[in-house]
Amino acid sequence: MLKTTLAGLRAHKLRLLLTSLAITLGVGFIAGTFVLTDTMQAGFSQKVTAEADKIAVAVTPKDPEATLSRKDLEKVRAVPGVREAQGLVRAAVPLLGKDGKAVGSSPTTGVNVLTGELGRVTVTSGTAPAADGEAVLDENTAKAQGLKVGDTITVLDKDGGRHRLKLVGLIDPGVDQELAYTGAVGFTTATALRLSGAPGFAEIDVAGADPAALKAALARALGSQATVRTGEELAAALARQAGVDTEFLTMGLLLFGLVAMLVAALVIYNTFNILVAQRTKEMALLRCIGAGRGQVFGSVLLESAVVGLISSAAGLAVGYGLGALALAVLGALDTPLPTDAAASLSMRTIVLGLAIGLVVTVAAAVLPARAATRVAPVAALRTQVEEQTFRTGVLRAVFAALFVAAGLGVTAWGVTMRPGERTSLLTVMAGGALTFLAVLILGPVLVKPLSAAVGWVPRRLFGVPGRLAVDNSGRNPRRAATTTVALTVGVTLMTLISVLTASARASLDARLDKQFPVDYMLMTQSRESAIPRSVAEGLRARPEFASVVQIREAEARSGERTVIAGTYHGPVKPALKAGSLSQLGPGTVVLSGFQAKELGVRVGQSVPLTTKKAGTVSLRVVAVVDEQSSELPPVTLAEDAFDRYFGKVPDAQVFVKIKDGVPEDRARELVDAAAQPYPTVQVSSSTEVRGEFDEALDMMFKIITGLLGLAILISLLGIANTLSLSVHERTRESALLRALGLTRPQLRGMLSVEALVLGLIGALVGVVLGLAYGWAALQTLMAQTAFEVPLLQIALFVAMSGLAGVLAAVLPARRAARASIVGALAAS
Amino acid sequence: MTVIETRSEAPPAVVARGLTKVYGTGDARVHALRGVDVAFATGDFTAIMGPSGSGKSTLMHCLAGLDTVTSGSVRVGDVELTGLSDKQLTRLRRDRIGFIFQAFNLLPTLTAEQNIRLPLEIAGRQADEVLFERVVQTVGLKDRLRHKPAELSGGQQQRVAVARALISKPQVIFADEPTGNLDSRSGAEVLSFLRTSVRELGQTIVMVTHDPMAASYANRVIFLRDGALVTELHQPTPQSVLDTLVKLEASAC
Repeated sequence: MLKTTLAGLRAHKLRLLLTSLAITLGVGFIAGTFVLTDTMQAGFSQKVTAEADKIAVAVTPKDPEATLSRKDLEKVRAVPGVREAQGLVRAAVPLLGKDGKAVGSSPTTGVNVLTGELGRVTVTSGTAPAADGEAVLDENTAKAQGLKVGDTITVLDKDGGRHRLKLVGLIDPGVDQELAYTGAVGFTTATALRLSGAPGFAEIDVAGADPAALKAALARALGSQATVRTGEELAAALARQAGVDTEFLTMGLLLFGLVAMLVAALVIYNTFNILVAQRTKEMALLRCIGAGRGQVFGSVLLESAVVGLISSAAGLAVGYGLGALALAVLGALDTPLPTDAAASLSMRTIVLGLAIGLVVTVAAAVLPARAATRVAPVAALRTQVEEQTFRTGVLRAVFAALFVAAGLGVTAWGVTMRPGERTSLLTVMAGGALTFLAVLILGPVLVKPLSAAVGWVPRRLFGVPGRLAVDNSGRNPRRAATTTVALTVGVTLMTLISVLTASARASLDARLDKQFPVDYMLMTQSRESAIPRSVAEGLRARPEFASVVQIREAEARSGERTVIAGTYHGPVKPALKAGSLSQLGPGTVVLSGFQAKELGVRVGQSVPLTTKKAGTVSLRVVAVVDEQSSELPPVTLAEDAFDRYFGKVPDAQVFVKIKDGVPEDRARELVDAAAQPYPTVQVSSSTEVRGEFDEALDMMFKIITGLLGLAILISLLGIANTLSLSVHERTRESALLRALGLTRPQLRGMLSVEALVLGLIGALVGVVLGLAYGWAALQTLMAQTAFEVPLLQIALFVAMSGLAGVLAAVLPARRAARASIVGALAAS
Repeated sequence: MTVIETRSEAPPAVVARGLTKVYGTGDARVHALRGVDVAFATGDFTAIMGPSGSGKSTLMHCLAGLDTVTSGSVRVGDVELTGLSDKQLTRLRRDRIGFIFQAFNLLPTLTAEQNIRLPLEIAGRQADEVLFERVVQTVGLKDRLRHKPAELSGGQQQRVAVARALISKPQVIFADEPTGNLDSRSGAEVLSFLRTSVRELGQTIVMVTHDPMAASYANRVIFLRDGALVTELHQPTPQSVLDTLVKLEASAC
C-alpha cells in the first residue's frame, strides 16, 4: 500500500504542488513570526546583558516616580567593596530645533554620559562630553535635525533658560524604547543635573568585585526605599520586559498566520476531495484486487501526511527567509529594535512549524479520505464518468439552519450587550465564527444562485464563452463553494477592518467637531501649565479671533485620590450630563462624568479637595459634564476660587477660534507669533489633529490588509488548483468546443470568466459578512458610533478579487488552450 | 430535386493531394498516411473504411483541419488548409465544417437546443429558423429540445449531434464512427438521417467507420490500408463492403 501511495504522489506531483504551496506559505508565515521575534528577543538579551555586564550592582528607587539623592550616592560609595559608583540622570531637557521651537511632541530626555568602567552608553562618533559646555545627541535626533559633531545646540533648562553647548559626539540609545522615542541629549553628570533640575538619580550603578556580597551590603546601607539588583538580575529583568513586548508582536502576527492556515486547510480539503474523485477508478481497482476500506483510507491519509511534512519543511525555509527579510527591513528603517543579530531557527520553531503543517494537512484530508473508502469496487468497471450532481440533503439543511440560527442569535445577543466590554466583543466574534460555519455548510447551495447573479454581466458581455463559463462555475457546487469560501475568509476580514477604520474615522471626525470646535490649540510639550497668561490675553485682544479659552490645571487630592483640578477662562459650552454650569462659583465644583463616578458623587453632593494654599475645602457638585465632548479638567472650579486655592498658575491649554472671514494663513501667523517666544509651547490646528488620526488609521489599515494579503494569496492558489483540475476533467469538452470553432483566446477567455465569477462570489459573500460583522463589532466597541461603509474601498476589494481570480486562471487556461484537439478527443 | 442535379457540376467539397502524416522521429517513426490522393464531391456521402491502424481517423483529422499534415495539401472548398494558422483553422472549422464524434459530442451543461445552436452562436451567426425547424423535425427531437444530454438516450444524443452538424449548413460534415456507441436500431436511425440530409439538403458528408452496415448507407466507400488508399466502391451494399474488407485483410497477411 505504501508503494502505491508513493507512486500516486509522484504521478500527481504537479497537482499537489499548488496544495503544498498553500501549506508552505502558511507555515512559512508562522515560522517567520517566530524567527523574527526570537531573533529580536535574543538581540535584546544580548544587548542588555552586554550593558549590564559592566556593572556589579544596580540600585533603583522602589517608587519609579522617585529618585535617589546625592546622599544615597555617598552612602553607596561608602560601602566597603565598592570600587566605583555613579548616578544616572534621566529627566526632560528640551532640545531646540533650528526654528527655535522645542523638538518633537515630547521633550528630549537629558542623560549623563559616563565614561570609564561604568560607561554603558555607546559613543558612535566623536567623544563623550567631558566639560560643562559639551553635549552629545542620539544619532536619530541628530540626523532628523541636521546636526553634526562640531555644531552648536541649544537646550532649555528647567526654568526655560536657553543654554548653548557644543556637540562633541553622537550616541546610540540602544534598546531603550523611551530614549528612542523622545530622543536623548547627553551631558556630564554635573551639567545634566543642573540643566534638568532633577532632584536626584534614576539609578546608581556600582562596580565592585563580588556582586552578591555587594548587593547584600548595599541593601543594608540603603534601607527599604531602594531596590538593589546585581547586574545579572538587572539584565534578566530588562530582557523580561522586552520579552513582554515581543510577545505582543508574536501573538498579533500569529493571529494572521492562523487565518492563513485556515484558508490553507480549505484549499487542501478541496484538493484532496478532487484527487479522490478523479481517482475513483484507481480506488475501485484497488478495492477489486482486495484492498480493504481501511487501507484505502490509510493510503489517502499517508499521502496527505507526506505532502504536509514536505511542504512544512519548505515552509520552515520560507519562514527563515521571511524572518531575515523582516529583520533587514526593520534594520534599514532605523527602528529602535535589535536587528543586527543573525536570524535563528530555534528547535521550538521547527517542531511547531512541522506539527502545525502536518496536523492541518492530515486533518483537512480526513473527510476526502473517508469519501474514498465509500467507492464501490464495481466503479472500476463503469466506463461513464458520472457528472457530480449535488442535491441539498436534509442533514445539510438542518445543520445549516442550526448554525445560522445559532450564529445570528449569539451575534444579536452580543450586540445588545453593554458596549465597551470585552465579553460583548467576544460574543459577537463567537457569533461570527458560527455564522461562518453556516456559510461553509450552505456554500454549495448558495453557489448556483450566486453564480447566476454574479454571472449576469459576463453572460451578456462575453457571448458564448461567457455563458458557458458562468454555467461551468456553478457546475460542481461543492467544489466551487470550498474554493470561494477560502477567498471569502480574507475578504471578510479585510471588509471588517475597512468598516472599522472608516467608522472610527467618522466617529472621530464627529467627536472632533463637537469637542474641538476650535481652530487652534496651544499646549506645552510636557503638557504642564506653563503657557504664560499673557499669550492668551494678547490673542484675545486681536480682532481676528472670535474666542480664546484658557484652561489651567494643578494637581490636588480628594481624600486618598490624586485628581487634576483646574479652571477655565473664556466661553465654553460643554455637553452636560446633569446640573448646570451657571451655578459654578465659590464653594461649588463641576466634575467630569468619569471623575464623578470615581469619587462616587452626584449633583448636589459634596466632595473634599485638598488644595495647595487653602488646605482642605468641601465643594458642592453643581454639574457633571460628558468628558467625551468637553475640554474642561476633571475637577473644574470657578476661576477666582482656583486662583485662591492654587495661586496664579499659568495656562495649560489655550483654545483659539478664528472670526469668520479671517484668512486661515493670517490667523496661523498670529498664533505662531504669539507662541514663538516660548519654545516649548506648541501650536496645533484641528486639521493637523485630524491628519494625525487619519495617518495612524491609514497605517494600521495598511499593515492589517498587508498581513491579510497572505490569506488571499493562499486562496488564489486554491482557485488556480480548482480550475486546473476542472480543465483536466473537461479535456474532451474543451476539445469538442475547439473542434466546433472556439478559438484559443475564446477558450482562455472562458476559463478566465469562470475564475472571475468564482472570485466575485467569494468576494461578495465576504463583503456581506464583513459589513454585517463590522456593524456588529462597532455596536460592541462604543455606544453611538457612526457606521460608515467605505464604498470605494469595498468596491476595490471586489474588483481586486475578481482580477485575482482571473490571474489565478492564467496558467490553467494556457494549458487548456494549448492541448491538441486530436489528442484530447482520443483520450477517454 | 434540384440539389441532386447540380451535384456533378459543382467542384469537389474536399480535395487531398499527396497527403502524408508521420508521427514520431527516428526509430519510432510511424507513417500514418503515405501520400493519399482523394476528392470528395459536393453533395456526396462517402465512408472511409479500413482495418484498425490503417490511418482512417488520421485522414479525417487532417482533412478537417484538426491535425497538421507532414506534407501534401488539403483543400476545403477553395481554401488551402496547409499553412493556415491555428486561428484561421479554427474559423474554417467554425464556418465550413460540421463534426459528429463517436462519443462525448455534447456539452453536458447545455440543453439539446443550446447544443444544436452552439456552432452558430460561437460564430455569432443567426440560425436559419426554417432549417432549424426542419432539422429538428427530421431527427425527431421536437419534444426533447429542453433536455440536458444526461436525460437523453445515446441515440438521441447522437441525433442532437447530427442536428448540430447540419444547422450551420457546413461545406462538409465529418463523422467519426457516429454509430460506434449505439445499438443497431439507433445506429440505423442516425445513419438514415445522415443519408436523408445528403439527399434532401445536398449536404456533403465524410464518415469514418469500421461497420460495413454503416458504410452501406454511403454512396461511395474508400478503403485505406497502411496509410494508403487501396480501393473504392460505389453504391455499396453491406455484402460488397464486407467482401472488399475480407479481401484487404487477406492480402495484408
